[in-house]
Amino acid sequence: MALSTLTRQVGVAPLRPAKTFSPTARAWLFLSPAMLFLGVLIAASLLVLRMSVGTKGAEWSGFSLASYAQLLEPYYLKSLLLTLRLALVSALIAVLLAIPVGYCMSRLQSPLLRRVFLAAVLLPLLVNLLLQSYGWLVILGPGGMVNQALMGLGLIDRPVMLLYNQTGVLMGLVQTAFPLAVLPIASAMRGVSRSYEEAAATLGASRAQVFRQVVLPMSLPGIITGATLVFAYNASSFVVLLLLGGRRVPMLAVMVHDQIAPLMNWPAASAAGVVLIVTTLAIMTFSEFVTGRRRRILEASQ
Amino acid sequence: MSSPLKSLLRAAAPLPGETGRFAMGLSGFILLLAVLPILSMIVMSFSGASNLDFPPASYSLQWYKAAWNTFVSPDASDVLSLGQALTTSLLVATLSMLFATLVAVPAAYALVRCEFRGKAVALQLMSLPLVFPMVVLGLALLLIFDNLPFQLSTSRLVIAHVILALPFVVKNCTAAMLSIGNEVEEAAQMLGASPLRAIVDVVVPLMRSGILAGMLLAFIISFNEFTVTYFLYNIDVMTVPIWMYSRTVSSLDPTVFSFAVLIVLIDFALIWALEKLVGDGGVSF
Repeated sequence: MALSTLTRQVGVAPLRPAKTFSPTARAWLFLSPAMLFLGVLIAASLLVLRMSVGTKGAEWSGFSLASYAQLLEPYYLKSLLLTLRLALVSALIAVLLAIPVGYCMSRLQSPLLRRVFLAAVLLPLLVNLLLQSYGWLVILGPGGMVNQALMGLGLIDRPVMLLYNQTGVLMGLVQTAFPLAVLPIASAMRGVSRSYEEAAATLGASRAQVFRQVVLPMSLPGIITGATLVFAYNASSFVVLLLLGGRRVPMLAVMVHDQIAPLMNWPAASAAGVVLIVTTLAIMTFSEFVTGRRRRILEASQ
Repeated sequence: MSSPLKSLLRAAAPLPGETGRFAMGLSGFILLLAVLPILSMIVMSFSGASNLDFPPASYSLQWYKAAWNTFVSPDASDVLSLGQALTTSLLVATLSMLFATLVAVPAAYALVRCEFRGKAVALQLMSLPLVFPMVVLGLALLLIFDNLPFQLSTSRLVIAHVILALPFVVKNCTAAMLSIGNEVEEAAQMLGASPLRAIVDVVVPLMRSGILAGMLLAFIISFNEFTVTYFLYNIDVMTVPIWMYSRTVSSLDPTVFSFAVLIVLIDFALIWALEKLVGDGGVSF
């Protein structure tokens, strides 16, 4: 009885309407709810693009490149350069710090230590940036941890100004974006099999040599991805600047907001936003190109 | 005489592929620096003084008492009480979590199980919110919502948060689905289940831990979101981070630190649960 049910079912299967869908149509059907939300994102960026060539007062009908021309004025140009410089420096520092941490995370044996490490990496990423900025105020403030320590050591007589300038902002940028560098590096290093390290060590390489000549080159795609993520994230960083920069470090993201809130100049804000998007996309494409080539070379050599 | 000692030393030295003591110490120190802002804020919340000097001159629970008073009897001067902000935050986070998951599970299925035209584009699109400048997202969504013929209040925050959480949830669901072989689904279909039923009754339950991890991440992201919300909030709809910011624009009072500690504790519990859920595999990002 049960057997005959089974055979009948299998025989019916090819007639099911689901099979008549083309695989592409079926896949996009499954993707459509997610695409609905991503569609909002894309529509929103197109709106920003349209708005950026509008004119103040006639945002939807006017057309002028005045907002972009305004971005070429010395003040805005300086802000663009400052944005790129701080993002680049923070990416370099974050990656340098992330390499040892990523290596340890990829090689840890004890489950408890792994959970503690992962929690310490995830906390700065997931805890509200506002709260972490409060912490930075405690550390960098005039009576804060760093100044007290430096005065205690007799290195300085009066508190040095660490807040509301580029030093404080840079530290904040590195710390908040640090997890974005660690995670891809750790996952790339997990992909480097231990047998390579053992082989190198057997052939007489010292620990430092093994790390520098085997592990680092093989996880380079992850390192580049990490650097790119930090750069992209920090180029448009907003909260850290709002709290630690005190508006005295005019990066692009702050300008986008200032153009809206006090000035109501939507086209200018949009133009600055478009510059941010283009910068991000350019650096992502470049990194994709570099890591893609690197990966092909690695695959060919294995 | 010295040979047992020598062999002991050799046994203690790390093998290739193990982390040396130096690397461990260095990483520990760097991670300590990474969480230092959070730690110092926690210490500060117990300060007995009323300035931000570190270390505090004395320790007391005065700011927790003050914070509690703000919570139970809000000042008339506050535009919105913390209770309302907390309700909004939890509502927005729960809705974002549910929507992001409902949307991400089918998407993950398509990305893992189907070969189709445009897959590369779909994959790129899925990770777009991860690198999209948040300030621009806030600006763009504000443009859209302000030009709609009808008013959205809570839902505009939910839409924004779902977009932000989507890459993380999809990534976790994809990882969970990759670990399930094709054969379970085929077996279910061979036993007479329709393709849809095979997915809902067999594949989805097997993906449980990945889906739960994605849900938790979505909740945490929404609960902690500041930048985009800062562009979109209004007087009626305010989340906890915005409420805290609006309190500290003029001056920083340490009551905020006690609220912050509460939020960090919630976050830490969620992250710890997340890691337990995913086990040794680690969360996928």
